[in-house]
Amino acid sequence: MRTAVQALSLALFTVLFALANYWLPDWLPADIYLRLDPLLGLSAILAGREWIGRALWGVVLIAATLLFGRFFCAYVCPLGAILDFLDPVLFRRIARRGLQSDARLRHLKYVVLIVVAGAAAIGVSLVHLLDPIALLTRTYTFVLYPAFIGLVNLGLDAVRPGAQALGWMTIATRSYPQPMFYQSLVTLLIFAAIVGLSGLASRFWCRYLCPLGALLSLLSPLGRLRRTVGPECPACGLCQEACPMGAAADEGGTRLAECIQCRTCVAACPQELIQFPIARQPIPGGEYSRINLTRRGFLYAAAGGVGVGFLVRQTPAAALQGKQQLIRPPGALPEGEFLRTCIRCGECMKSCVTNTLQPCVAEAGLEGLWTPRMELRFAACEQNCNVCGKVCPTQAIRSLSLEEKTHAKVGTAVLKKESCLVWAQDKLCLICDEICPYNAIVFRTIEGYRRPIVLPSHCNGCGFCEARCPVQGESAIVVAPNGEIRLAEGSYLTEAKRLELDFTPDAGNDRFILEQSGLAAGKAAETPPGFSAAPNAGAPAPRPPAGFR
Amino acid sequence: MTIDGHGITRRDLLKGAAAGAAVGLTGLPDAVLAAADPDLVVVTGDPAGATRKAIEALGGMSRFVQKGQRVVLKPNMSFASGPDRASNTHPQVVATVAQACMEAGAERVMVLDNPLQTAEVCFQRSGIPDACKSLKGVYVQMVTDRKFFREIKVPQGKVLDRVEVIKEVLDSPVLISLPQAKSHSTTGISMGIKGLMGLIWDRWSFHSRYNINLALADLATVIRPQLTILDATRALVTGGPGGPGEVSKPNLVIAGIDPVAVDAYGVTVAPWYGQQFKGRQVEHLLTAHQRGLGKIDLDQLRIAKATV
Repeated sequence: MRTAVQALSLALFTVLFALANYWLPDWLPADIYLRLDPLLGLSAILAGREWIGRALWGVVLIAATLLFGRFFCAYVCPLGAILDFLDPVLFRRIARRGLQSDARLRHLKYVVLIVVAGAAAIGVSLVHLLDPIALLTRTYTFVLYPAFIGLVNLGLDAVRPGAQALGWMTIATRSYPQPMFYQSLVTLLIFAAIVGLSGLASRFWCRYLCPLGALLSLLSPLGRLRRTVGPECPACGLCQEACPMGAAADEGGTRLAECIQCRTCVAACPQELIQFPIARQPIPGGEYSRINLTRRGFLYAAAGGVGVGFLVRQTPAAALQGKQQLIRPPGALPEGEFLRTCIRCGECMKSCVTNTLQPCVAEAGLEGLWTPRMELRFAACEQNCNVCGKVCPTQAIRSLSLEEKTHAKVGTAVLKKESCLVWAQDKLCLICDEICPYNAIVFRTIEGYRRPIVLPSHCNGCGFCEARCPVQGESAIVVAPNGEIRLAEGSYLTEAKRLELDFTPDAGNDRFILEQSGLAAGKAAETPPGFSAAPNAGAPAPRPPAGFR
Repeated sequence: MTIDGHGITRRDLLKGAAAGAAVGLTGLPDAVLAAADPDLVVVTGDPAGATRKAIEALGGMSRFVQKGQRVVLKPNMSFASGPDRASNTHPQVVATVAQACMEAGAERVMVLDNPLQTAEVCFQRSGIPDACKSLKGVYVQMVTDRKFFREIKVPQGKVLDRVEVIKEVLDSPVLISLPQAKSHSTTGISMGIKGLMGLIWDRWSFHSRYNINLALADLATVIRPQLTILDATRALVTGGPGGPGEVSKPNLVIAGIDPVAVDAYGVTVAPWYGQQFKGRQVEHLLTAHQRGLGKIDLDQLRIAKATV
């Protein structure tokens, strides 16, 4: 039964992950697992000092844990499910002896939790490093998703000749854009380490490291479903051997904080003495429900968290905020709040239709590790897409309507005349102009030649120009963060209006240039590019628009 | 389609089709001011109706598509916008031609373009896949992966010596070009000849390495559509090729075998950037004409007009 529930939960997690894409309907919370995780919500609220509506979902899990104990780990957690499912595959032949230092190692997860809390207390988010849901979502995004698409494409390539021959054109023409991310290998290594540690003890991660498990285990002893062992117990030790969490203690005792209600012990007991009845006693006493962490340990861990948080923050990157070439997704909170609120789950990067969202490595300092940025030379921000905010569980990227998102200006394109093919070499290039969805790039005639220029008040920094500029190496038109709008609350539309920005695609922009550029006098004689003026040999013909003669 | 001149030339095709055309023309409705065997057919009307009439007036699709042949249609569907923006071919024009091809007995019809903007969004917003969804044997593909392209030589190329073209185009006997009439801030206008750039892999080099007007004429020597049907039901007269820009409504569909002639007529149907031009004033068309790829002067063309 448990395996079935686990499999279902893992499947649901995977399906929701897959649905986090351009086509995601507004009503579907694809990030629901991340919202349910109270650790992510609490850490983001504590670090960000702002209430986060979506974090309210975490109350559901807290309430359920208060009722039933730490069942989440055994039934719902997708990472727990993966560890359980991989266990017999990878470690069947390994004789795992109980770790000698079991009791001490168990503290570790509380240390992790306290470090996370300590850092959050001084406004630094560390929760992303080891929170299981964020970590798994990130692993899905950076590793499994690209690998899956790669495999699908390989398969399609293999059947393509056959499909072509049979006229199955739907298959023959099918191919998916390969998603790619920085940090895939690092992410894989972290995930592999977590899986590999199970070789030392089953669910090593859950027992000793998981901070969400630690948080839930604090509540777990209050749960009313509690393991009880009949007084006839001969202490054969079979349940202790079977328990994946090391929760079964000597002589029928139960470490309630560790017990995840998986009931593996029930099946293992030859005397059928183990039950999980509804407890009458609200707060159990006894040594087994205690968290064995000393006050000194607690203080060390908290101080460690504060110290780590402090050091993570104290890099020149913090002082350089806003001065670096770093473009955040549209709707991202002001940088400081953004760094504190983003949990680095990678869901925005997964859902990004153009794949421009990439994890920061060093671009935003240590504090900004794995936060999303736009790699605009690689791909642009699609005008018709607002999915990154829709799927952000902590709303570090605000969920915006398409119109609002359009006005969430992320930067301004800067044209570099020294490398622009038109400005520097008189080539007939127009790509930035033709690709610009906002008509922010127009041509005007300057000293007899048609030249592209940027209208900053029409540019919202989407980066199509930078992505597609055919200049080799650095683009001749680069989006700089200059003029970005980052609002913690309120309307981007209103703010953009206030700043006299206009992103409504305006048919009149070209005319605006011709009539108000001071070139109007020569306009009548001008011919648009690509055309030639009517033949009039002799007189130096005024320059026609490109393509005309 | 014809590669490097070793296949069927335009002249051969015209001869071969003459009989068929004659049959087709006898059945022409009165609305067509029929020039015998017209070079161009110009129909005023709504997208679907005008397209249907234009095909009819050229002698029916069976003149171009034989039973069991594979057909490629090349519309503009490069931009994530609907027909009102006039950056893409009207979905009804594409669907009408696709249906006519299937009715003529085509084995299948592939509607292909290598989009400029995000393929997934172009797919959704152009409306073309939707319009073709109910047509059996018609497939719409945004060709964005290099594996679907194959390099060919350009023997008559002046600047372009080789180019990677969508394989399906190279392997299909029939290519029908379905350009949207629009302005273009480098080539003046973008119609049939310019639209060929949507069938190649490295379009960027046309801007960065070559003179685009010469490269387009080179490209037109190796990719030779059997038929061009220009969608000028709407014309993007400024802000092209992507728009947004001013959209005028000539309500015309212009069809012909000669790709230069169709474009040359298209140049005259609207003022571009507020000025009237002739085909000869468009550099890439003039270059293509001088290479012998088609007629450019309208007074040398037999033009049949109709209204639906």
